[in-house]
Amino acid sequence: MTRVMVVDDHPMWRQGVARDLAEAGYDVVATTGEGGQAVRIAPAARPDVVVLDLQLPDISGVEVIRGLLAALPGVRILMLSASGQEQSVLDAVKAGATGYLVKSASPEEFLDAVRRTAAGDTVFTPGLAGLVLGEYRRLAKGGGPAEDEAAPRLTDRETEVLRLVAKGLSYKQIAARLSLSHRTVQNHVQNTLGKLQLHNRVELTRYAIEQGLDSPD
Amino acid sequence: MAEDPSGTFQVPLWRSIAVFRFASMAYVVAMAALNVTDYAHPFGAIPALAVLVGWSVAATYLYARSAWRGWPLLGTDLAITLVLLLASPWVVGRTAIDNGVPSLAVAWQACPVLAWAVSGGRRRGAIAALVVGTADVTMRAKLTSASATGLMLMLLAGVAVGHVARLAVESEQRLQRAVELEAATRERERLARGIHDSVLQVLALVQRRGAHLDGEAAELARLAGEQEAALRALVSGRPPRQRSGPEVDLRTILDGYASPAVSIAAPATPVRLPASVAHEVGAAVGAALDNVARHGGSGARAWVLLEEEAGTITVSVRDDGPGIPAGRLAEAAQQGRLGVAQSIRGRIAELGGSVEIVSAPGEGTEVELRLSVSG
Repeated sequence: MTRVMVVDDHPMWRQGVARDLAEAGYDVVATTGEGGQAVRIAPAARPDVVVLDLQLPDISGVEVIRGLLAALPGVRILMLSASGQEQSVLDAVKAGATGYLVKSASPEEFLDAVRRTAAGDTVFTPGLAGLVLGEYRRLAKGGGPAEDEAAPRLTDRETEVLRLVAKGLSYKQIAARLSLSHRTVQNHVQNTLGKLQLHNRVELTRYAIEQGLDSPD
Repeated sequence: MAEDPSGTFQVPLWRSIAVFRFASMAYVVAMAALNVTDYAHPFGAIPALAVLVGWSVAATYLYARSAWRGWPLLGTDLAITLVLLLASPWVVGRTAIDNGVPSLAVAWQACPVLAWAVSGGRRRGAIAALVVGTADVTMRAKLTSASATGLMLMLLAGVAVGHVARLAVESEQRLQRAVELEAATRERERLARGIHDSVLQVLALVQRRGAHLDGEAAELARLAGEQEAALRALVSGRPPRQRSGPEVDLRTILDGYASPAVSIAAPATPVRLPASVAHEVGAAVGAALDNVARHGGSGARAWVLLEEEAGTITVSVRDDGPGIPAGRLAEAAQQGRLGVAQSIRGRIAELGGSVEIVSAPGEGTEVELRLSVSG
């Protein structure tokens, strides 16, 4: 049975989601309204999937995601957000979340997203695809310092797939249109996130090393 | 303070005039006491000085109230000064004045000049200085360098004080606007937080729970969803949309079209365009979405994708409606009907961009707008 933890500061919402999950046959191992608590109880609760509201009262979504991944490497994180918080969604994805859904999605869409996240797939919304496309282009333009060669790039095929996701086509429709298998489309989408996450980790490490080398001792 | 807003910065200026008025009054009285033996009509000095002292007290009292600082008071102030000045040749005597005995108004005559300058700026200050100065010169038999210098100094005081007063008013108005803007922004943020934490969550929940119900309940859920999207767009963290101004973020304009049936995908960073261009693009997207709503049938959904790459902005609008049969657009154009396609093409062509419309029956329609932007 897939173990799920629900992190959301709105009690009504939390209970509703937990009930839907339980009815669909998931084992809801923990629910909490605080990011800090979620990180603390994660090792004991050992969820396979964390359903995470990006806007929590105590710590940022990115901090929760880093904490969860440090405590439970390999845990899958599906984030939810109620409003168009582009930058925080993008930051969360770069920090390691593998799925994103808007809160207004129907229960069917939600359960489908949890199922796919648990199976290791990436769950994109058209909005997230637009954000990821924009992020690759920002990096390619050399927005940040000294990252010309380090900047991750999309292949033409990946760009094509991502644009179709952003235009609302399902993986099945994309597969049909590009004459690819469903699995290949899924892999392309997964790669686009993987490269961003890797780049983010490299940047963080480089930053940490620079700070370490520069500090007087 | 309930006073008129363009006044609080001027209060210190009015106070300084009051201080100057009493100091100069004391100087005039002292001068009169010293020189009264040389006066042509010493007893004439008594009513003149009574007027001087009486008006100094009255004027100070009246100028302290902002509502009374109008033309009647300014006019009376100037008139009384002129009366004292013009009475001087008779009371003091022309020969005495030409011998250097001060007039009945000496330094005091600068008071109305300062009052005019503070109330209305440089020009008014200069006018009052010229009026008083002219009266001062005409009562003398000959123009001495001392009286000419006095006239110049008074003119300088009028202009300088008027300038400072205007600066005070302007900076006060600017401060007022900044304070209002800050208060509005803070209030907006406060509302957005509150709405986000409560109303939006509940609306999303209603939509979610009602989505799989039938009939009226599903309709209510759908309405809740629409309101959630509209409210979210209204309170989203971005600053309010600017109608004017050099550049706007195209994302804020496109966000206005978001609804449960319309998805908006855009970069996380602003897509800046000149305001007029951005609004034209927004209108073209609006026309395309209207068309989806009109011809797509109920339940048709649409996806808008905004991209910016290498100086080109691309906006795609895709729907999952029935699509346009081949040749239908050309047919409509031939019949001279300005369809939606025409209105979109027209708008984008004006901006030097291009439009591509791809559609097939049963596969929906995709409209792609491309626009080069410098930089």
